[in-house]
Amino acid sequence: MTLDTVPLDIPVRVLGYAAGLGAFEKERLAGLGLRPGVSVVKILKTPLRDPIECLVGSQLLAIEARLLPHIRVEAA
Amino acid sequence: MKRVVALAGRPNTGKTTLFNALTGLRHRAANYAGCTVEKAIGTMQASGGEVEVVDLPGTFSMLPQTEDEQVAFRFLSECAGSGDDLLVLCVAEASNLDNDLVLPAGLKAAGYPVALAVNMIDESRLNGIKLDAAELSGRLGMPVALVSARTREGLEKLDALLTPPALRADLSEAMDFRRATKKRLHELQDEAVETARTASAASVTWPHRSVLPTVARAIRIDRVLLHPVAGPVILAVTMFLLFQALFVGARPVMDFLAAMLGSVAVRLRAHLPEGAVASLLCDGAIPGISAVVVFVPQIAILFLMIGFLEQSGYLPRAGAMVDRALRPFGLDGRVFIPFLSGFACAIPGVMAARTIHSEKRRIVTILLTPLMTCSARIPVYTLLITAFVPLSFRPLGFNGQGVVMAGMYVFGIVMALLLALALKFTSLHELHPAPATVLPPYRVPSARELARYVWARCWHFLSRAGQVIFTLSLVLWALAAFPRDAARLAPIEAELAAARTSAPSDPGLERALRGRLAAARIEGSVLGRTGRLIEPVFEPLGWDWRVSIASLSALAAREVFVGTLGTIYALGGESNASDGLVVALQDAKNADGTKRYGLATAVSLLIFFAIALQCMSTIVTVRRETNSWKIPALQFAFLFGLAYALSFAGYRLTLAFLG
Repeated sequence: MTLDTVPLDIPVRVLGYAAGLGAFEKERLAGLGLRPGVSVVKILKTPLRDPIECLVGSQLLAIEARLLPHIRVEAA
Repeated sequence: MKRVVALAGRPNTGKTTLFNALTGLRHRAANYAGCTVEKAIGTMQASGGEVEVVDLPGTFSMLPQTEDEQVAFRFLSECAGSGDDLLVLCVAEASNLDNDLVLPAGLKAAGYPVALAVNMIDESRLNGIKLDAAELSGRLGMPVALVSARTREGLEKLDALLTPPALRADLSEAMDFRRATKKRLHELQDEAVETARTASAASVTWPHRSVLPTVARAIRIDRVLLHPVAGPVILAVTMFLLFQALFVGARPVMDFLAAMLGSVAVRLRAHLPEGAVASLLCDGAIPGISAVVVFVPQIAILFLMIGFLEQSGYLPRAGAMVDRALRPFGLDGRVFIPFLSGFACAIPGVMAARTIHSEKRRIVTILLTPLMTCSARIPVYTLLITAFVPLSFRPLGFNGQGVVMAGMYVFGIVMALLLALALKFTSLHELHPAPATVLPPYRVPSARELARYVWARCWHFLSRAGQVIFTLSLVLWALAAFPRDAARLAPIEAELAAARTSAPSDPGLERALRGRLAAARIEGSVLGRTGRLIEPVFEPLGWDWRVSIASLSALAAREVFVGTLGTIYALGGESNASDGLVVALQDAKNADGTKRYGLATAVSLLIFFAIALQCMSTIVTVRRETNSWKIPALQFAFLFGLAYALSFAGYRLTLAFLG
């Protein structure tokens, strides 16, 4: 499954990135700590429903909604 | 050979706080060669002598993406190649070591001498995290100090790391990042991620909680501050307060400074004989100083509030909230504060663009911020609207003059967004420089850090932009004061002298004569002659030479337009929008008896002043912020051309439809 399909407050683990995600975004997400093996919880949608606040490991990230379908995850 | 300590690390690790703690106030700002990225350089005394400390731009990984990140790596390579004695002091947040250790591990693997400062140790203690510095040092192969830059805890251990032996490093094997292949950087990054993970796992004992207390608190606060309804309301109130503080809070101090300097000029003039020296001091130098210092209150208040919002952790969240709305225009949430500040004054707005890490996005923001309706435009708009928008104009029952004034604010925003759209098709466009951003934990801002932040910004403006603004003020004064046409001025001066000595004195006559004298001086000056010379250029916009001169002089500051027109209309420099000048403009007639100005001229002037970069101080500030004359020159030329074209269209359309 991908992160966009996961409901809020459900912890999942990152498996990798799906095809279609650009190199820039991959590197940026990895640099920020969203790497395979890391736990992720979608916390809330910002008022315009994009970006999405996520708990990634021990830090909070605001991630553009368009990236979530490209992040493959599994149940934690 | 210099001894250099380069502070490197991810954003939000407290790098700048540590830089301030190490260097005190012994630091200055410069730009890295060939780009707009700011370099903070300071000095500190380590045993053995003086060491230069450089605060590098924040870097997320070994894969530099933005210009800021590339600059950091480029600096390290240049330093290694120059033979300087270099130590990279990486700063990591104690509660986020999994991510923050990647950079030091990667730089170490790339052959650089690295020491590690694990910062915010006080916060990690509150989070229940236990750190084994010796184990961490052994795993990473570099000296480690546990510190809190905010409370200064552990800084003495850091001093020990910066003693000469640690600095004398062999840099012959250090990787040159300027020539490194993408593949090699990816390998380095992967190695560093693994090293960071194992080092963190071996040296950090995490609490038996799924979420750290500081993060749990941040989530609780975010559920309120980013709530679909409460979030925008709180943001609107926060921005309203910021805007009010800029306008209301700064205004009394600005007025006081302007009045104080004005009274100095008046007193000085009373003690000096009439002539060039008095004019230089009272009309050139003192207004020049005034043109610089009056901006300081706004800059101080703006950066006090930006610093507070940034240090508290709210600023990135505010950016996230408006990000979606700005994305279609090729912008993002971080342009919000500079744009908002631009409504008070473009100078702090342009300076506020420093909070944007991506260079291209920063330049786009700097290019567009001057389109926001700054307070200097208000006197010009008020004069023109009062003089030429009839009171009988009441759209939907509202006061038409008020509607037009509000419309000018909307016009500025619409123009900025349209130009942002146009810039999407240029090389300045980046798809989205930050598709994901860190939302740091909420923290109570430190008063000392805030004071330093505000002082640094004010000093930066005074020391860098201020000098040029002052010099250009003198140049503009000289253009308006010379040459002095003695034959033309002599009869008026004689009349004035006679009026002064006559008894009983007639203040009204004296004022009128001073007004005529000022008008005669400016008409005969280079500025006045240039105004006449360029009259044909602006004639298609419905301007005569008087308006052309006033617009030229408004380069000093937009509001000068009103004063210059007042001078030209010989109102003794005491006119304002609410009295003589409004009537003078309404009643002004051409030689054939037709009205000199009408609604069409006002429309063309309003459009011109809304778009053109008629502000020398902003131009100088853009030059300082971009480290280049090319950008402000292009910005000035483009906005001037656009303003001219739209003013022409506005003039012609108004003539065609409204007469």
